[in-house]
Amino acid sequence: MYKAVVIGGSAGSFQVITKILMSLPKNFPIPVLLCLHRLKHVRSGFVEALSIKSSIPVIEPYDKDNIKPGIGYLAPSNYHMFIELNKRIALSTEEPVNHSRPSIDLTFETAAQAYRDKLIGIILSGANRDGAYGLKKVKQLGGMAIVQDPGECQVKTMTEASLKLTPVDHIFTTQQIIQFLLNLK
Amino acid sequence: MNKYELGIVDTRNIIKTLQDVYDYDFKNYALTFFKRRAENFIRIHNLKNADFFIEQIQQNKEIFRLFIAFMSVDKTEMFRDPSMWRLLKDELLVKMISGATSFKIWFPEVSSGEELFSMAILLNKLKLLENVRFYASSISELNIEKIKAGAFDPRKIEVNNANYKRIFSDGDLSDFYTYENEKAFWDTSLVEKTDFIKQNIIFDDYPKGIKLIIYRNQMIYFNQILQERFLKTMHSCLVPGGHLIIGNNEKIDYWNSDKDYLTVSKSESLYKKKLS
Repeated sequence: MYKAVVIGGSAGSFQVITKILMSLPKNFPIPVLLCLHRLKHVRSGFVEALSIKSSIPVIEPYDKDNIKPGIGYLAPSNYHMFIELNKRIALSTEEPVNHSRPSIDLTFETAAQAYRDKLIGIILSGANRDGAYGLKKVKQLGGMAIVQDPGECQVKTMTEASLKLTPVDHIFTTQQIIQFLLNLK
Repeated sequence: MNKYELGIVDTRNIIKTLQDVYDYDFKNYALTFFKRRAENFIRIHNLKNADFFIEQIQQNKEIFRLFIAFMSVDKTEMFRDPSMWRLLKDELLVKMISGATSFKIWFPEVSSGEELFSMAILLNKLKLLENVRFYASSISELNIEKIKAGAFDPRKIEVNNANYKRIFSDGDLSDFYTYENEKAFWDTSLVEKTDFIKQNIIFDDYPKGIKLIIYRNQMIYFNQILQERFLKTMHSCLVPGGHLIIGNNEKIDYWNSDKDYLTVSKSESLYKKKLS
């Protein structure tokens, strides 16, 4: 019944993201939208590193790309990534939000508006509050809100800010997140 | 974060007002972008709601000018995407421009000017600036005035300087700007030979015989109709063999576009107009 997963974290969540992506089945039934804080002047390397391990293809989308099931869409460095109501990607160089571009809040909020109660939002380890407001919007619009267990996070700022701002459906360890996603099949 | 949200009807009314009063046609901007931009503008300037905003646009030319400047999203930083500028520096510009007397480079939306000044500085370092003529268009009078004065946002100095170091091993970006009393200004002699063109959304006044167009991260704010129209216009402005650079995650994608353009570098979104 879910139509998309959106995941936010910082570059420090790289290992967790990798674990999740390599555990998904090749025919994962829905798209995975990824917004991770990363160095803005380093464009190459990140998506390649994720792709090698991931069992589904991971791309940095072009503006106006159609969102398809079974593909991971990584917000390109130094762009905001919005989800349009017609399920396309829209990129933007507008001002940073929470000192971040890409901003997790913006990707989550627009994904929530596009997918409403058919969206799963997951906040992982991260070093600033970006993402908390976005997860709140996911929850408000009827989606499922999941936060990585702060006890497991190297940096807790993002997960704790999220838990403070909104009630969530689950606080999960990486392993539980994977199990949850596998059960979607 | 408290947001003001515009309904679709309000958004369309704002677009209609801009059309009726100022003949600016935003109809083919991406609707979600226009809406978000208008919402942010209303919030920043405490304009209360859509009706009050529309009234202000009609009566207050200054609000209109500020809004148009806000709609031409700023270019974020100097030498954005250093690898693209390194490609220009190391492989393309010398080959293209050496010996030319008036090599025409066009910036179809110059907005806050970072790309224009980046190019001018790069050409200055390569001792090619004398050989070049710039054309800088913008929908915003206010932005053109700012660029002519050389003004830029001093909060960007740090990232600008860091990017400069990723491209040049010698000198310092501060060779090209002054910073006093919390105000930053480019050396405006860099853009001495620039024709500034104030234009409406749809190009009505565009230069011809262009050898290089730099139009990065602007088409992302348009719908596909306007994207295609711009790509066609730019094609008609370029000389055969002329180059076009668009944003890293933008693409040339319309029916038969591969008859018009050849891909020179996919990773840097560099294209060449085909000869026939």
